[in-house]
Amino acid sequence: MSAHGHDEPVVRPEQVNIADSSMWKKIPMIAGAIGIIALAGAFGLKGEHDEGFYFSYLTSTMFWLALSLGGLFFVLVQHAARAGWSIVVRRIAENMALTLPMMGLLILPVVFLGAHDLFHWTHAEAVASDPMLTWKEPYLNETSFRIRAVVYIVVWSLFGIFYWHKSTSQDSATGKSILDNSHKMRWAAPLGIAVFALSLTFSAFDWLMSLDPHWFSTIFGAYYFSGAVVSTHAFIALIVILLHRSGYLRGVVTKEHFHDLGKMMFGFTVFWAYMAFSQYMLIWYATIPEETEWFSYRGAGDYLALSIVLVFARFVFPFLGLISRHIKRNPKTLAFWAVWILVAEFIDMFWLIDPVGPHNAGNHHPAIEFGLVDILCFVGIGGLWLAVMTWGLSRKALVPVNDPRLAESVHFENF
Amino acid sequence: MSHYIPPTHETDPDPLQGRSALIKGDPSFAEITEAVARPIEMPHKRWILFFLPALALLSLLPISLGWLFWEGIGVWGNNVPIGWGWPIINFVFWVGIGHAGTLISAVLFLFRQKWRTSINRGAEAMTIFAVICALIFPGVHVGRVWAAYWLGPVPNQMEMWVNFRSPLLWDVFAVSTYFTVSSLFWYVGLIPDLATMRDRSKTTIRRMAYGFLAMGWRGSHRHWVNYESAYLLLAAMATPLVLSVHSIVSFDFAVSNLPGWHTTIFPPYFVAGAIFSGFGMVLTLMIPLRVWFKLEHIITIKHLENMAKIILLTGSIVGYAYSLEFFIAWYSGNEYEAFLFQNRAFGPYAWGYWIMMSCNVITPQFIWFKKVRTNPKALFVLSIFVNIGMWFERFVIVVSSLHHDFLPSSWDYFSPTIWDVTLFLGSFGLFFTLFLLFLRYLPLIAIAEVKSVMPRANPHFVDPDKKPASRDHHASHGEVSAKSEPEPEPEPEPEPEPEPEASKDEPEAKEEAEPEPEPEPEASKDEPEAKEDAKDASESDDTPEAEASSEDHAEDADADEDADEDEKEEEAEKLLFSPPPSDKTDAKKDGKDNG
Repeated sequence: MSAHGHDEPVVRPEQVNIADSSMWKKIPMIAGAIGIIALAGAFGLKGEHDEGFYFSYLTSTMFWLALSLGGLFFVLVQHAARAGWSIVVRRIAENMALTLPMMGLLILPVVFLGAHDLFHWTHAEAVASDPMLTWKEPYLNETSFRIRAVVYIVVWSLFGIFYWHKSTSQDSATGKSILDNSHKMRWAAPLGIAVFALSLTFSAFDWLMSLDPHWFSTIFGAYYFSGAVVSTHAFIALIVILLHRSGYLRGVVTKEHFHDLGKMMFGFTVFWAYMAFSQYMLIWYATIPEETEWFSYRGAGDYLALSIVLVFARFVFPFLGLISRHIKRNPKTLAFWAVWILVAEFIDMFWLIDPVGPHNAGNHHPAIEFGLVDILCFVGIGGLWLAVMTWGLSRKALVPVNDPRLAESVHFENF
Repeated sequence: MSHYIPPTHETDPDPLQGRSALIKGDPSFAEITEAVARPIEMPHKRWILFFLPALALLSLLPISLGWLFWEGIGVWGNNVPIGWGWPIINFVFWVGIGHAGTLISAVLFLFRQKWRTSINRGAEAMTIFAVICALIFPGVHVGRVWAAYWLGPVPNQMEMWVNFRSPLLWDVFAVSTYFTVSSLFWYVGLIPDLATMRDRSKTTIRRMAYGFLAMGWRGSHRHWVNYESAYLLLAAMATPLVLSVHSIVSFDFAVSNLPGWHTTIFPPYFVAGAIFSGFGMVLTLMIPLRVWFKLEHIITIKHLENMAKIILLTGSIVGYAYSLEFFIAWYSGNEYEAFLFQNRAFGPYAWGYWIMMSCNVITPQFIWFKKVRTNPKALFVLSIFVNIGMWFERFVIVVSSLHHDFLPSSWDYFSPTIWDVTLFLGSFGLFFTLFLLFLRYLPLIAIAEVKSVMPRANPHFVDPDKKPASRDHHASHGEVSAKSEPEPEPEPEPEPEPEPEASKDEPEAKEEAEPEPEPEPEASKDEPEAKEDAKDASESDDTPEAEASSEDHAEDADADEDADEDEKEEEAEKLLFSPPPSDKTDAKKDGKDNG
């Protein structure tokens, strides 16, 4: 503000608006088309009695949902903490959260069509013969499961749309309504965090933990959350790096912001390890069979190797790799770790879901099953997800251009 | 940094448009030093009023410990199912309080929360004293205190080793590491301020003592460079400790097979609870202190509000954990677990449970209202509730889980004895005694750090009230250079550490002015009515000679308000502001490709 005067804008339009000729404008169409084709292919390949299909479908859904929810969390936290550095990357997170309504639609098949394949407790005869499931019936029954799913979806969608709408309409707002939008977004943020914490926890209980209905862990919601947050920071960094390559956001999102995103990736990598270690160590140490069972079949057959891979992929390597500030400040190395972290998130989701799959039922040497359907589900859901994300991205400015503190963010420097 | 928006002094800007000044009233650097150091240099009559009761309370400690050592731990209320009574509750209580200090100094430092500078010193002191209090309890709980050193892995001729598989041993390591790093962190942060105290000393003893502790600090550039990197590294090392200590304390409980103790959320939930209780204690201490020490412009309502928000957040996390524990106790289908929680909430210890719930979960919800969180009195009351609630949380965890164990024949009710109570009160006596001694001899506020977050520390600071002329000069020059200089200057980092540099020169200036203590004799000494004179004297300490000798330290010019007419100062200012390097680089940076 000081020396530039008010005539010179903080960001120039060509830095933050995707040109009509740009590839980014076409990605929504292309990704959407690929997504639909892949998803149709996945459903096409699903045989009449293919009980494994929804496991593949759920894995990809939970992966992409983690990014949507992480985006929402990012936006909420930056508003609640009134953070300055993050304003220039907030719009990307807002677009990630914009995918929540669509992810809500995509989770519906799991809840309404695939529940019988996925969730053992939906079978009335199994519940009747299992005293434990009978005990849990007040919570684990299909009616309340569906109601809860709809509640999560509605709440997330409302928050996702609210923040996207308020923020993008601020871009064209004038006068007092600029501040009004900021105030409203800030006002809703703490409330949103509270609602977010509860809905995310119970959705993780419903869709991931209840795959093994006997098993329970109080930290499970926080476990899913920690993975979602680290992946979100990685994804934001990756998108910014790609936009830089196309000539956008240069000089707006600087290596100072990369440094901060890298720090958050590093910090939440450790946080994930903290969650995972707390869960594993306490269960291992107490050796109560009803708890250790969940880890015991993840330590059998192929899954032992996968579990070890997870520890190294999700914690050891990124931890060592992201310590140096030079790595965090260099877009190329940061991009490498961002991709790495996203791959690790998928491994984590696969590790949570696949061992319970039907191919392992009664199998003493459980085996990893990863095939074309898994890839098609990933590409299908991912294509649709990216279509919505990039639609928002290319339709509006890449940063909240009217945010009153945009200058603070653009000129931000680490100490 | 370079796009610095000068804060309006009296009214805050809209919080979404700018950042308000953290320190109110726009004091000069000299005034900050004066405000913080004055209470230490004056005999504080009120201090004695607090110190004597604290000593009296402290006297309970040797008495209860003496009786304990003489008689054995049978003097406590611990009985057969409840082998861990008050001592462990108090241990966890104090360790929990000891969490806010390092969180404020390390985690908030890494998160660039500048408001931490006003409260970190006091909070760190609180942390260290709380950990000292905590360490007493497991130390004496071993029964044979003379063998307490066996807690450490000390080789001895009997080849007796500690059980490395026990979380109780991990606790020994975790808490002692935490204590060591917190103390180091606190001490490193104190060094520049100790030098300030040394340079202000009027007696030889004080000068010697502060001088010894300041380790020859002269505020040179090299000192500051080392200091800043040491501080950052210590912060990075202390951050995992904030999480690890209370996680390991939680392991003491959670690795067991006991219903109510064994649940996977324990580590993060204990950490959140510890931060919650630590901030509760910081508020309890700081709200009265800011009034008594007349530091309301340094520890402002904004600071209290921020701490209150952290209390709301961590209190809600704790509430989340309580509810999840309850839910999973039912969901697990484990009848012992379900029984325990039912018993907790409606059994013989229901009173403890509901005290805990209302203090820890319901009380913080009042912070949602701005009226409450900006009202120091309300916050003080609230913080007391937080302290009480967190003690009861540990009580509920320890006692309600143990009193009905797997053998109904051994079920019992726990009642503390008088010696439980006196030992606990004695630990409060120790805490307050140490804290009051800290208040008496060390600056409560991190003087150098507070200065570094003030507008004056910004290299582009122009006093909007006092120097309109040079401001215009600055602006016009900036414009010119921004437009007319396209030659590449690849270094986009103007002055990486302008702030500490600015804040340091105060002590230095003092130092140089010290050799001639002429103006002091009549003004100084220890009479309280000499306050004003002392202030004048110290202001005139920042005399032009001192300044001129350090031309590059422009902030002295601002610190000294009475010397506007001095030409040297004008010149120094022109010199400083004429080539605003960062304006150039900013213009560059906008167009610069960072990708």
